[in-house]
Amino acid sequence: MTATAPAAAPVLPETTAPSRGRAALSAAGRWAAALLGALVLFCLLLAAKGADPLAVLSGMVTSTLTSPPTLEQIAIKAVPLVLAALAVVIPARAGLTNVGGEGQVVIGAVAAAGIGLALDPRLAGSLVLVLLLAGGALAGAAWAGLAAALRLTAGVNEAVTTLLLNYIALDVLLYLIYEPWKDPAGSGQPATRPLEVAARLPLLAGTAVHVGVIVALLAAAGTWFALRRTAFGFRLGVVGGNPEAAGRAGLPVRRLLLTAMLVGGALAGLAGAVHLAGVEFKLRPGLTTNIGYLAFLASWLVRHRPLPVIGAALLLAGVTIAGDSLQLDSGLPAATVHVLTGLVLLAVLGWTRRKGSDR
Amino acid sequence: MFTRSRMPKIAAITMTGALLSACAANTAGSSAGAGSGAPGKGTEAVGFIFVGPKDDYGYNQAAYQGSQAVAKAFPDLDVLTAENVPEDDNAARVMNSMIAKGAKVIFATSYGHLDAALKVAAEHPDVAVVQQGNLITKAVPRNAGTYFGTVYEPVYLAGVAAGRATRSDKLGYVYAFPINQTISNINAFQRGAASVNPKARTFVVNTSSWCDPAKQAEAAANLLKQGVDVITQHQDCTATIIKATEAAGKYTVGYHADASSLAPKGWLTGSQWQWAALFTDIVRTARDGKFTGSKYNANYRVGFKTGQNPFVQSPFGPSVTGEVKDEVARARSWLATAQGSPFAGPVTDQGGTVRIPKGTVPDYPAIEKIDYFVDGVVGKLPK
Amino acid sequence: MSDLITDVLSGGVRGGTAIMLAALGETLAERAGVVNLGTEGCLLVGALAGYAVAAETGNPWAGLVAGALAGAGLALLHAALVIWRRADQFATGLTLMFLGLGLTSLFGAAYVGKAAPGFAPVEVPLLADLPLLGPVLFQHDPVTYASYLVAPLMWWWLRRTRSGLLVRTAGERADVLPLYGYRAGLIRGSAVVAGGALAGLGGAQLSTAYAHAWFEGMTAGRGFIAVALVIFAAWRPLRVVAGAYLFGAMLAVAPVLQARGHALNQFALDALPFVITLLILAVIGRRTLRAAPQELRRVFESSSTS
Repeated sequence: MTATAPAAAPVLPETTAPSRGRAALSAAGRWAAALLGALVLFCLLLAAKGADPLAVLSGMVTSTLTSPPTLEQIAIKAVPLVLAALAVVIPARAGLTNVGGEGQVVIGAVAAAGIGLALDPRLAGSLVLVLLLAGGALAGAAWAGLAAALRLTAGVNEAVTTLLLNYIALDVLLYLIYEPWKDPAGSGQPATRPLEVAARLPLLAGTAVHVGVIVALLAAAGTWFALRRTAFGFRLGVVGGNPEAAGRAGLPVRRLLLTAMLVGGALAGLAGAVHLAGVEFKLRPGLTTNIGYLAFLASWLVRHRPLPVIGAALLLAGVTIAGDSLQLDSGLPAATVHVLTGLVLLAVLGWTRRKGSDR
Repeated sequence: MFTRSRMPKIAAITMTGALLSACAANTAGSSAGAGSGAPGKGTEAVGFIFVGPKDDYGYNQAAYQGSQAVAKAFPDLDVLTAENVPEDDNAARVMNSMIAKGAKVIFATSYGHLDAALKVAAEHPDVAVVQQGNLITKAVPRNAGTYFGTVYEPVYLAGVAAGRATRSDKLGYVYAFPINQTISNINAFQRGAASVNPKARTFVVNTSSWCDPAKQAEAAANLLKQGVDVITQHQDCTATIIKATEAAGKYTVGYHADASSLAPKGWLTGSQWQWAALFTDIVRTARDGKFTGSKYNANYRVGFKTGQNPFVQSPFGPSVTGEVKDEVARARSWLATAQGSPFAGPVTDQGGTVRIPKGTVPDYPAIEKIDYFVDGVVGKLPK
Repeated sequence: MSDLITDVLSGGVRGGTAIMLAALGETLAERAGVVNLGTEGCLLVGALAGYAVAAETGNPWAGLVAGALAGAGLALLHAALVIWRRADQFATGLTLMFLGLGLTSLFGAAYVGKAAPGFAPVEVPLLADLPLLGPVLFQHDPVTYASYLVAPLMWWWLRRTRSGLLVRTAGERADVLPLYGYRAGLIRGSAVVAGGALAGLGGAQLSTAYAHAWFEGMTAGRGFIAVALVIFAAWRPLRVVAGAYLFGAMLAVAPVLQARGHALNQFALDALPFVITLLILAVIGRRTLRAAPQELRRVFESSSTS
């Protein structure tokens, strides 16, 4: 992972289709039809519930997209989604399925918080910040590494183990905040002592957005560069396409698979650490609010392409934020947005695939 | 709820809201609040955030009903409500979007909303932010405050009724987290029961969740198995435990709301909220520009001693005799006197150490700081 | 002490039943070669539909039927997407989890705190008095009793019946089916839908027989636990039962000890079944995986190491 790629890489879908013109047009048509279908279904459900669908939708759009503070919130919410989605993208290039983003995010946040608890008042805040971000990434990598090791030594599939590790990570978090790490000066609710202000991610000048945004953009650009412009990325693609052939061609298949999982886990762990140091500041139950699972879906939304992942994350973050409007303007339960998220994803997963080639 | 014809107005509110908050940010930058108007003055909307669903038959429903009383009392105000607002930074986000819609008075109704409430208060000096149930331990900002009733007083009275009802001398208490409010409730319940039945003991089980019906079912089943015959709780959603207790033919002491319909036979009494008067008065005070320096611009606590406790006793169930009702009434008038308190000394903890000496009557803030179980409570506090 | 063990085991059966039904449903789908990560969603819609229909009709049995139908409906979406549209199984399943969460939140608000008839414990005459086994197995509600039959029936059906063989073939050698005039997609789809119905039934058990309430998100991850259990059980119905009760027992330990005055950090216990599963996989990973249906392995193994 190098961050030498141009930071201002355009946030546009890559045009990898062999024949552009008509193929792109029909792809756009399929997307439009799928999204429209999802919206129509959502409206029907709202109408079935007795709400005025058009009022609900326009309320969601106006109160989400017309206020700068809300736009900032979307950006903040998208940061861990981008990082955790890249944790799906990289292993997917090697043909691996990382369903463990959730656990890797949690463990990253736990490690970051632990480093904060141990060092916070003793070392300078900025040093603590750097250490806890690094620690979060390392912990995420280690957590994904467990799954990779089981895959390489015992032949157990990583989709199975990463899923199991999600629960263990969550229980580790709950165990720690319930007793050993609970803030003695806190209110009695299970949570750790908050990070000192100096150890939190600084804000971009004049905004409420923390610098994690830049970290996420750099990570996406770096991933794009590594996958598309380096020998490592090329080899990963070969392994993902046909591992036997890759092995025969003398590629270090096992090392490549391990690296892909470790880098992915590190990104998800970083997502957890950034979320902790930028937004949450302390561990609490429900810290991740499904970041890992949403990120998995964000990656699928754009067929595991590193730059469009930014758009997918912004979309899912935007829909989540628009859930506020559902209650404030329409009196519907906030979780209703999950219906929209679900329908859009089903439409995209089922009806936008290019025939023949998938990834 | 909002019809389509209102959309332009919403957009307008949003736009002016954004402008207003931009101005607010500027004044905040120049001088800490001195230049801005009185917090909450002339507000057009009031915002309420709840940690759970507004129809949980519990804490959130009670607060929601309070918000609807505000809507009724001030027909010209937009009352904005948001349920399921987690106790984290999302809470600040939701409060900010309420402010963007014109709200200058915000009620953050969950214990864990305090951090977010203080953050929002600091960002918006022109908005009055009040929080339900927690304590501001540092200097109280001029546009913030906390409010609460003295929950443990009616809980003590319910304990009296429970102590009289039990045949096994075993009472059960299902709670979520060992926060101070819960600890004083459990202690008051036990002390109320012991005041009429020295053999009564209270068995406690915690669920580590404000609402996990499956965990509640298991907690109730195990308390019943231990021979407990009166169960009460401090949970946000209460139906599961009440139904399990009623199905076993045992007694229920309610919390948050009158749920006697769920336990027609075993309902004893309970404690429930009546927020209407307090909420309405807070909104009126803030709207008139009198919030800063008022009693609400502090850690405001009201109880039987000091006025109208928003936490009241639920109606009695069919099995409570007139004799017990009289006993409860006597305890209630005692609580209103200077010497009366669920925690009037001597109070000993589980280890037998005297924590509050004989003759001492702790005041409300002191009671909220109690962090141990009293003698007679069976079970350990998680560290 | 024996009293304590009885309480833990009895709690394990009570709390494990919904997990068991969901896991058996997932077993069925996976034996036919399809993973459904949306089991959590099926449980949720089953819990709401079960409670809502019980409340509206006054009949908890109607609630059970509705719960099963709701779970089947959501699973039908999964089947349609992964079989007909060839969408990714993991992504579709996770999406269904979110969809189930959203739908039940949208339509469930009206049923929070609403009264509904449910299933109460009924002791089985004679059997309930057996030492240990009596309180553990025979002092529950009728749905729990009925659930005892599901796993043995599924075991027998998968092994001994023609339709069971077809499901197994769809999971092992789907390419053989057309040779005999069967459509693999149809068989798989049926298994997924039937699995969803079982999960929905589990959800309805949770709301109408266990918690006696509907609450948003009340399944609290039990659907995911069910998916993990299937691997733990190596795709065998009878082992699923053991795993589900083990998990239920882990959940029961904390309240059992607390009601006796002891404190306990619940979460170390919660992690235990998952840690055990991982250890089993680490030690006998290849053998466990060999137990997996062939076609399922193809789903998992988008690449292979060697």
